[in-house]
Amino acid sequence: MTTSGTAIEVNHLLKIYKGASFPAVNNISFSIEKNSIFGLLGPNGAGKTTTISILCGLIKLTNGNAELLGLSIKSSAEEIKKQIGIVPQEIALYPSLTAFENLRYIGNMYGLKGKELRDKIKDHLEIVGLLSSSDKQIKTFSGGMKRRINLIAGILHQPKILFLDEPTVGVDVQSRNMITEHLHHINKQGCTIIYTSHLMEEAENLCSDIAIIDNGEIIIKGKPKTLINENNSDNLEQLFLKLTGKKLRD
Amino acid sequence: MLRLFSTIQKEMLIVLRDRGGLAIMFLMPMAMITIMALIQDAPFRDYQELKIPLLLINNDKGSLGIAVEKGLNESKIFDITKKNSSPEEVKKTVKSGDYEIAVIIPDNATELLNSKVSHFVAAKLSSVGLADSGKTDVKITDGSLNLNVFFSPDTKKSFKASILSSLKQSISKLETQTLLDYFSKELNKDESKVTDKKPIDDFVTLQEVSTIDTPKEALLLNSVQHNVPAWTIFGMFFIVISMSGSIIKERDEGSYTRILTMPGSYITVLAGKTTAYLFICLIQCVLMLLVGIFVLPHLGLPRLIIGNNISAMLLIAIATGLAATGYGVMVGTLFKTHQQSSTFGAVSIVILAALGGIWVPIYVMPEGIRLLAEFSPLNWALSAFHKLFLSEGTIQTILPNLLKLFAFFISTLLVAFIYNKKK
Repeated sequence: MTTSGTAIEVNHLLKIYKGASFPAVNNISFSIEKNSIFGLLGPNGAGKTTTISILCGLIKLTNGNAELLGLSIKSSAEEIKKQIGIVPQEIALYPSLTAFENLRYIGNMYGLKGKELRDKIKDHLEIVGLLSSSDKQIKTFSGGMKRRINLIAGILHQPKILFLDEPTVGVDVQSRNMITEHLHHINKQGCTIIYTSHLMEEAENLCSDIAIIDNGEIIIKGKPKTLINENNSDNLEQLFLKLTGKKLRD
Repeated sequence: MLRLFSTIQKEMLIVLRDRGGLAIMFLMPMAMITIMALIQDAPFRDYQELKIPLLLINNDKGSLGIAVEKGLNESKIFDITKKNSSPEEVKKTVKSGDYEIAVIIPDNATELLNSKVSHFVAAKLSSVGLADSGKTDVKITDGSLNLNVFFSPDTKKSFKASILSSLKQSISKLETQTLLDYFSKELNKDESKVTDKKPIDDFVTLQEVSTIDTPKEALLLNSVQHNVPAWTIFGMFFIVISMSGSIIKERDEGSYTRILTMPGSYITVLAGKTTAYLFICLIQCVLMLLVGIFVLPHLGLPRLIIGNNISAMLLIAIATGLAATGYGVMVGTLFKTHQQSSTFGAVSIVILAALGGIWVPIYVMPEGIRLLAEFSPLNWALSAFHKLFLSEGTIQTILPNLLKLFAFFISTLLVAFIYNKKK
């Protein structure tokens, strides 16, 4: 059972894909505090995406359980979907639709409509500096502009928990700065953020807590500064390499 | 409902902004209808107003030559050319394809026939003691009487048999007549007493009973009546390429994943997508039929006759559209890349179209292929249109076709659903 201050409680989560000889996620347990920005870090194939996909209800777990805001992913998947938002690594938008049309569609899918929806879209576009591009088709946008719209699509319905998968990959410094500022802003409004990235510097600055996962197991968890100090490292990247090794993961 | 309407709106916007897709969905079938109706106009007329080129070399000046020629003319299926050529020349001409058939009636054929018949009659009467030792007034001519018939090398066996049978019928009647004449003559040596020399009647006649009950059926299946509904159905099914592409693109670009994380069932999203594409199918259908009614007559082709049963026509269009969109969902679900789905989609539709009688009418197909046609949804749709347009069909008469198309729609969705579940 989650405590009043816990957004996510993961208990002995196990996932073995059909035909796989070893688990993608191996009996992991961790909790994430409400209103925190939690970084789930790890090399390629470590089990990050599988963990997040299970928590979002995209794939079924093999064993164990997890609760989001006190709701079990086994029995309350539909209720959980109303409380969470997701910003995938792909630009999950329709290129031939305008920014406004994309966001209106996504808002409608969450039950938002009318003036309330239009105002929300306008407010978010204004914050990320894209209000003037509202009626332009997404295919005419730069990578950074697309990422910002992709972020709005995940938070338009004001989720209590937001999952971000590499939200700043391939964008310029200005866009990245705007995105991280916006993430801090929505976090202050009460949204718990679960974030995955390969950008260790960004994770170090953005996250209040982190966990490093490798070979399907959590190998370390805590506050970034504390972990860096406890492990005699200069920064998060050094700590990451110390714990996961320098061997290439393809 | 908000999710459903929003999905329909989104899909319609995407389709309307895809100019290439619009061209495939609307311009291509319109061009196909026009071109195919023009190309197939002549062959369709041939099927119904068949005139087979026949070369006749009538070297006989008697009644046999006249009877055969009359029989060929009365059949009304031959375009007869009369010439004087040698058997070698005739063979060469027919082999080269200038004529489908050639008939050579030999010189003195009537004389030979008379000789053989009189001989036969005298012999028969003599055997029963009614005449004197087989003597006749007719000069006995030696030799066999053969009418030579040449066929083009590609003539079908069944066609050969029917032509030979028709020729044989003309000859038999003359043979019988000649036999009767000689019997009368032999039994009544005083020719003046042979009073009844009129031709023998047909004791049994064949009467063709028309199956056409209404004036509309008399239209027969012309190029426009075949090609407009046929290529309309083909165009509607070609939506599979756009639809499967849309599903795969949504999956590749991550929107599908985002939709799965949203509250509500994916079936609502799929229903919205299907409704949008069904609406496009209906627009396609209306446009194609309008081409048949208003454009093709300006190109010298017959006007498309659609009848007055608009509700039945709408039901056929909806059922066909559902079958096409269901197939699109299945192809989009089963295949991983747009390249795979578009190739499979296009090839499979062309095969189903060929089997379904879209390219050429089923009645000119070989027997085995005609059986396969029963399994093509394009055939179910085409047959429904034909029943409605040519036989004044009602909703009741097209109901089996509608049910088959609807069952196909449900089956394809089930395949997609089960595949997704297993995946």
